[in-house]
Amino acid sequence: MSQVKPLHYQSTRLPAQPRLMAILNLSIAALLVVGLVTSQWLLGDLPQQMQFDARLVPPSSHHWLGTDALGRELWARTLAGLGLSFWVGSLAAMLSTLIALSLAALATLSRRLDTLVSLLIDTLLSVPHLILLMLIAFALGGGTQAVIIAVAVTHWPSLARVLRAELLQLRQAHYVRISRALGKSRWFVLQAHLLPHLLPHCLVGALLLFPHAILHEAALTFLGFGLSPSQPAIGVLLADAMRYLSGGYWWLGVFPGLGLLLMVLGFERLASHLRRAL
Amino acid sequence: MAKPSQPILLGLALSCLVATNTVQAKEQLVLAIGGEPEQGFDPLLGWGQYGNPLFQSTLLSRDSDLSPQPELATEWSLSEDRLTWTLTLRDDARFADGTPLTAEDVAYTFNTAAQAGGRADLSALKEATAISGHTVTLQLREPRITFINQLVTLGIVPHAERENGYSEAYGRHPMGSGPYQLVEWQEGEQLIVERNPYFYGPAPAFKRLVFLFTGEDATLSAAHAGQVDIASVPPALAANVPGQMQRVIMESVDNRGILFPMQAAEGKHADSGAPIGNNVTADIAIRQAINLAVDRDTLAEVALHGFGRPAFGPADGLPWSDEQEAIAAPDLAQAAELLDNAGWELRDDGLRYKDGLPARFRLTYPSSDTTRQLLAEVSAEMVRPLGIEMQPTGRHWDEIQREALHQDAILFGFGSHSPQEVYYLFHSQHAGNGFYNSGFYANPEVDAHLDAAQAAESIEQANHYWQAAQWDGNTGYGIRGDTSWAWLVNLEHVYFANTCLDVGELGVAPHGHGWPMTANLLEWQWTCG
Repeated sequence: MSQVKPLHYQSTRLPAQPRLMAILNLSIAALLVVGLVTSQWLLGDLPQQMQFDARLVPPSSHHWLGTDALGRELWARTLAGLGLSFWVGSLAAMLSTLIALSLAALATLSRRLDTLVSLLIDTLLSVPHLILLMLIAFALGGGTQAVIIAVAVTHWPSLARVLRAELLQLRQAHYVRISRALGKSRWFVLQAHLLPHLLPHCLVGALLLFPHAILHEAALTFLGFGLSPSQPAIGVLLADAMRYLSGGYWWLGVFPGLGLLLMVLGFERLASHLRRAL
Repeated sequence: MAKPSQPILLGLALSCLVATNTVQAKEQLVLAIGGEPEQGFDPLLGWGQYGNPLFQSTLLSRDSDLSPQPELATEWSLSEDRLTWTLTLRDDARFADGTPLTAEDVAYTFNTAAQAGGRADLSALKEATAISGHTVTLQLREPRITFINQLVTLGIVPHAERENGYSEAYGRHPMGSGPYQLVEWQEGEQLIVERNPYFYGPAPAFKRLVFLFTGEDATLSAAHAGQVDIASVPPALAANVPGQMQRVIMESVDNRGILFPMQAAEGKHADSGAPIGNNVTADIAIRQAINLAVDRDTLAEVALHGFGRPAFGPADGLPWSDEQEAIAAPDLAQAAELLDNAGWELRDDGLRYKDGLPARFRLTYPSSDTTRQLLAEVSAEMVRPLGIEMQPTGRHWDEIQREALHQDAILFGFGSHSPQEVYYLFHSQHAGNGFYNSGFYANPEVDAHLDAAQAAESIEQANHYWQAAQWDGNTGYGIRGDTSWAWLVNLEHVYFANTCLDVGELGVAPHGHGWPMTANLLEWQWTCG
């Protein structure tokens, strides 16, 4: 049986190709993130500006991605929507990871707590995501905050299960046993030996959660349980587009949908590369 | 094996419906006109107040110019002291179970509705008494000019003591003397009704009606797929008429406007727990500036695609509304001056402040309503140059009631065939009571005018008082007075109807897109072979 070494004792050298791809993806993602984060300031109130004489205009050199029913530039609204989705997705993914890590750590403290956490994980995994999301978002009254909480509260179980298994395995490692035998407290072992080992898993886990969170935020908003219809969220843009689709206004749905798809795929690829690299 | 998904099942169901519909085109109509009543089809709880009760008959009806016409009552009179209505009923009216409708049923309906606390306001009714089998009297506590509205809108239910009589479950299993009877109601999905064989009037042309309760998107999709015969569509989405359908416009007194919370926020809460008051909208300068800044013609064009006109009051064009109530053109300069004079200082961030309070508040609308969303967003954009930030916020109705009703500006819609609605909207007696005066508007002089209108000796005299309540030269609820609302637009109700369907001459609809269209259902004809 191979011994498990703590990460900080392991070599950080990685096979060249995955590492290169990860760096490349990371750079692209970093650029994307900077763009999305700063879009709010760069765009100002452009996503809200109405041009009553240019309503539902198809894409052209003047209106790059066309305009919506109130003459608002779709490129600005799509970018603002992606920015908003990024914030919501990031916060929800971080919160979800935090919940997963806390519960996984809690599970290591005693057998009874472990059973309880396992039960909680199984229970949540047995309920369909979207239904639970809708219920929580509705109960919290909708809006950005409610969506973040709803997504965070429903997305942690898979990651928590992975982290818990990892922790249980680590608990049997020699250096952990030695540390315990030397009289170190459970808390010391947890924060000095176990958690540092888990951080890369958390990073990858959060990154994998992120596209999920974004998609569910968009779905929730699309269904009317999420962000306010007056916010330029991707879910709102897609829901609006549905109404106008029969009129032939294809650009209202295609571009926000494409933007969402690219962002989700981009982050998913990044997470996959990171997972392989780490 | 993978389970068939819900959309596939729905698609199959709709296809079956279409197939049935094609075969029995003359027998069955499929309508997607919305308006499913939460409380069921119980007139005592409000069913029929906005439009046609369908299952029940009313004592009187209105013709296209809103004057009362005989329905169940063939003759009616009001005593000289204006306290007693006497009505003679037709003798051939029967409920859907074949039993005759009598004066006992009418008296029971009015007496019970008065105690039920539904939307039908019968607070002025002292007692309804059956004088004989076909004569009934309605005694009032005080003269009430708008009482006739209840004769037009309150559907008659069977007496509780008779077989198949009124019970608590009546809303789910209605039985009346109207042209149709209920076959099946799947809540949230569809309602199926069939001709009432005992209906006293001419038999409707269609044996069966299927009402689909779909959202805006699904309704529009169904219309484009040819799966419905009539679909109500929001004006903004009415531009592209499906191939096999025609656009039908119904004039209406249905309006949309912004109701402002009139009280300052002092930590008070309504009985429902909803907070009361808003420090920004409590300032009349803000309300007046918004009224001056909003370009109503552009609103009608942009948000309604031209299917509407500017509104300046709750009953524009009706006899009880003051014709002088109008703003010639939007005037941002005058609005800005007004705000300057009131101490609202414009700062570098583009927002106005008064004593550190920013001119910012939520403009809440029901998130499922596209028209209100567009109106909220466009009007917010129009007042932004002034330094007032109205934040359009979409919420569910129950959330609006729980949180926003008394502290946010709300994009409401009203519009009635009776001035009684004006009384509800602006009398302090109704402050905080339901949706009507949810902004807690109160002005003793306006109250006095409204009370005088209710007690008036004639319609003409009442109209004088109704108009005075709007503006009497000194005060009023209207834009020259307290400016408690910013009325925006009057809507035209837009429907897509099958080209084979002749819907006759549609009247003027009250608020409530959908059911009011069925008021002349008996005139509808299928014109294709």
